[in-house]
Amino acid sequence: MVTTENGNGENRDELVQRLELMEQMIAEGRRSTICRGWIFVLWGVLYFAAVGWVLFLPHKNWAWPVCMAAGIVTMIVAGLRRRRATGGTQNVRSRSIEAVWRMMGTGISLFAFTGVVAHHAGGIAYSAAILFFIGLAHAISAMILRWRVQGVVAAIWWAGGMATFFVSTWKESLAIFLTASFFGMILFGLYAMMLERRDAKLNTSSPQHNA
Amino acid sequence: MSDLEKDNGTERAELVQRLELMERMIAEGRRFTMRAGWIFVLWGLVDCVGYGWHSLQAHSQFVQTWSWPICLGTGAVITLIGRTMQNRREGISKSRQCRSVEAVWGIMGITLAVYIASAMASHFSWQYSYVAGMMMILGMAHGISSVLLRWRVQGAVAAIWWAGGAAVLFCNSRRAMNDIFLLEMCLGMIAFGLYVMLLEHRQKAVRKNA
Repeated sequence: MVTTENGNGENRDELVQRLELMEQMIAEGRRSTICRGWIFVLWGVLYFAAVGWVLFLPHKNWAWPVCMAAGIVTMIVAGLRRRRATGGTQNVRSRSIEAVWRMMGTGISLFAFTGVVAHHAGGIAYSAAILFFIGLAHAISAMILRWRVQGVVAAIWWAGGMATFFVSTWKESLAIFLTASFFGMILFGLYAMMLERRDAKLNTSSPQHNA
Repeated sequence: MSDLEKDNGTERAELVQRLELMERMIAEGRRFTMRAGWIFVLWGLVDCVGYGWHSLQAHSQFVQTWSWPICLGTGAVITLIGRTMQNRREGISKSRQCRSVEAVWGIMGITLAVYIASAMASHFSWQYSYVAGMMMILGMAHGISSVLLRWRVQGAVAAIWWAGGAAVLFCNSRRAMNDIFLLEMCLGMIAFGLYVMLLEHRQKAVRKNA
């Protein structure tokens, strides 16, 4: 009887430990996304800049390539600086999330580049596919991190993708893209940055929290 | 001095343990994908049947409208039933890696379903970029899974899908697009599924012998 109790106690302790470890890893994964909140804001602002350039400035053909290249260079530089500062330590969940975004980035770049070169960039299905790609990455990340807010962001991108299929003019399709970018990139990025600041405040006000 | 040696020994043992745990998780994730090998084969066949039916009866209005929804719906139902039966028979024990891989494929399925349904409902499924987008989504799922499981073969499959997507955007004929689509289905779905099933079969035989 005592042995079973002991056994049950050990089992319970082990389960509690496992749960704690899982929660810790999920929290770390979320923190790694929160730390990259500025990237969402950056890309959202770049989308707006590119559209603004196309609508109001000369040399329209250069708008998207220049803005996308600027975004990629900024991210590479910031990523290198960050890796140097943190030493590149990551847990399994952070690595999974990084894999999701890296593959989404590769896929979307390839699709966008070939679409522009092959003159398919004006198509409705082309624009909708891009919205679906971003929604896919957000949804996978939300599922791995069990993060409802990011799940809502994924739904916004998917809804945008679906709506794009049903509009009749490119102006409407552009409006959908900008709305999704505003809510799904800029607002989500600002929200993540706010969470990061709150976390940093908590850490500085209670040193025990760090331990 | 001996304390230092002890510390080093403990640290090393801990590192070895962690590495073993990671390797075990990756192996479990791969086994999880291997168990789903039949799903790749099934979807490859479903798409080939859908394509064949659609192009062989090009003059039938019913076939032109309903061939793809019927084939895709049947594929989804068979996948759901097969997966449920498989889980009941073999039990569900999932590591974190398995859950991440499952999340990738689950979300990919939902994305593709919504994407295809909206394109069909809005009559945009004839565009080249629609087919290219579909291939890119499949490539992304394979790419993410290959990074999570550190699996080069799956990475190569992702590259095949992406190359197909890019090629579709460059081809200027319906026939070339259909050829690329069929080739992708054979290589990226059926061949990969068969390879994965073969691996699973071999692993089972090794386990039985041991």
